[in-house]
Amino acid sequence: MTLDILRSIAAGIPWTLALTLVAFVIGAFLGLPLCAMRFSRFGAVRFLGAALILTFRSIPPIVWLFFIFFGIGFGYLQISPFQAAAAGLGLITAANMAEIYRGALAAIHAGQWEAAFALNLSSRHRFVDVIGPQLLRVALPSAATYAIGLLKDSAISSTIGVNEIAFQAYHTSQRTFHSLDVYAIAGLLYILISLPMAWATRWADVRLRARVAR
Amino acid sequence: MSASPALDKPKTIEESDSEPLLRLDGVCKHFGSFEALSGVNLTVKAGEVAAIIGPSGSGKSTLLRCINMLEPPTSGRVALGGVVVEAGQEPSRQVLMQLRRSVGMVFQSFNLFPHLTVLRNVSLAQERVMGRSRKQADDVSMQLLSRVGLADKASQYPNRCSGGQQQRIAIARALALEPQLMLFDEPTSALDPELGLEVLAVMRELAENGMTMIVVTHEMHFAESVSDRVIIMADGRIIEEGTSKQVMRNPTTERARRFLNAVVDR
Repeated sequence: MTLDILRSIAAGIPWTLALTLVAFVIGAFLGLPLCAMRFSRFGAVRFLGAALILTFRSIPPIVWLFFIFFGIGFGYLQISPFQAAAAGLGLITAANMAEIYRGALAAIHAGQWEAAFALNLSSRHRFVDVIGPQLLRVALPSAATYAIGLLKDSAISSTIGVNEIAFQAYHTSQRTFHSLDVYAIAGLLYILISLPMAWATRWADVRLRARVAR
Repeated sequence: MSASPALDKPKTIEESDSEPLLRLDGVCKHFGSFEALSGVNLTVKAGEVAAIIGPSGSGKSTLLRCINMLEPPTSGRVALGGVVVEAGQEPSRQVLMQLRRSVGMVFQSFNLFPHLTVLRNVSLAQERVMGRSRKQADDVSMQLLSRVGLADKASQYPNRCSGGQQQRIAIARALALEPQLMLFDEPTSALDPELGLEVLAVMRELAENGMTMIVVTHEMHFAESVSDRVIIMADGRIIEEGTSKQVMRNPTTERARRFLNAVVDR
C-alpha cells in the first residue's frame, strides 16, 4: 500500500523539479535587467524597475498564478497550467533575484569597477569578466535559499492543475483515503529534494569563498 | 596619438619633445558644493617623474582621477598626447578609450580581481582591449611578472599574495597595456613599511627606465630621491612646485612649510 502511494506521488517529482528549475532560470536571467533598471541613469527607468519589483513581490503567488492561468489564459492566450505556473513563479523569482543581485552589487568593492575602468575594459567586459563572476559568488547563498523556497512554492501550482508532488498527493489521498500517510510521504519527498540542494550550495559556496575571500 | 616616449629607453627631460605629454588647464572638480580641485594647471613631460604630496583632502587623488576621467572634471581641460577632453561636454566613448589607453593606474587598495589568477589579472585587459591572443598576452604577462619578481605567483589567486606582492602585480597589470603615463595613487599607503619598500623598488626601476609617472605619495624619501619634480597641494590647489631640493628645502609658502615641518618632524 505504502509503496503504491509512494509510486503515485513520486510521479509528481519530475514536474516539481522541472517547474522549480524553469521558474528559477527565468528569474535568474530576468532578474539581471530588472536589477540594472534600478541603477539606470534615467529616473523613469529606475521608477519602473522599482515598481515592477514591488508588484511582482507583493502579490501572493497563488493570485499571480490564477491571474495568469484563469485571467490571461482564458480568452487571451492559450496557456498550459505548467506554462502559467512557470511564468508566474518566474516573474516573482525575477523580482526577488533582482533584489539579491542588488545586495550583492553593494558588496563588491568600488575599486573593482575603478580598476576595470582604468584598464579600459568595455562595459560588456566589465560586467562579463570582472563584476559578473564576483556578483554570482556573492549572490549564491541567498539565491540558493530562495531556490529552496521556490521548490516549496511550486506546490501552489497544484491549484491550477500542474501534476507535481502536491497535486499527485491530493489525488492519491482522494483515491486511497490514507491522507496522513500520503501527505507525510509528500512532505518527506520535499525534504529529500531540498537536502541535496542545500548541500550542493554549501559545497559550492565554501569552494568559491576560499578563492574570493581576501 | 602623438609621439610616444620609448617605454624602456632612458630619456632625460631635456631630451624629450618640448610639447608636454600631459597638460592640465584650469581643472576644477566639485562634489556638490565642495570644491575638491580649484583650477589646477599642470604639465608633465615625457619621461618625467612628478611626485604630488600634501595633506589629506588636498585633492591629490582627485587630481589623478581627473587625468583618466575616473572623476570627470567639472571644468577645465585635460590634454594627453593628442587626446583632448574639455570638461562640460561629455567625452565620446572613443575619446575616453583613447585617453585611458595611454594611462595606467595603480591604486592604494591594489584592486586586483580576486576571482582571477595572478596571470589572468595581468592578461585579461591585454586580450580584451588590445586584442592580443591568450598566448601573446600570457607571454607578455610572464615577462612583466618576472620584471616585478613574481613569476612564481602566476597561477596563484591574489588572496594568496602579500600586500606588497599584490601591488607589484597591479603594477604589472597596468604596464601590460603599454601606457605612456603611469598614475600611482598612494601605492604604499596600505602596506607595512617593509612591503612598501619592494613596491618602491619596482617604481624606482620604472622611473630609471624612462616611464612618465605621477605619484601621489606620503613617502618623502621616494619623492625626494626619485622624482624630477615635487608638487605640494593644499585645498585643491598646487601651492608649491619645483625640483625636490627647491620644494623640500626652501618652500616659499607658509602652508607648504607647515606641511613639510609636520612630515619631517615625524
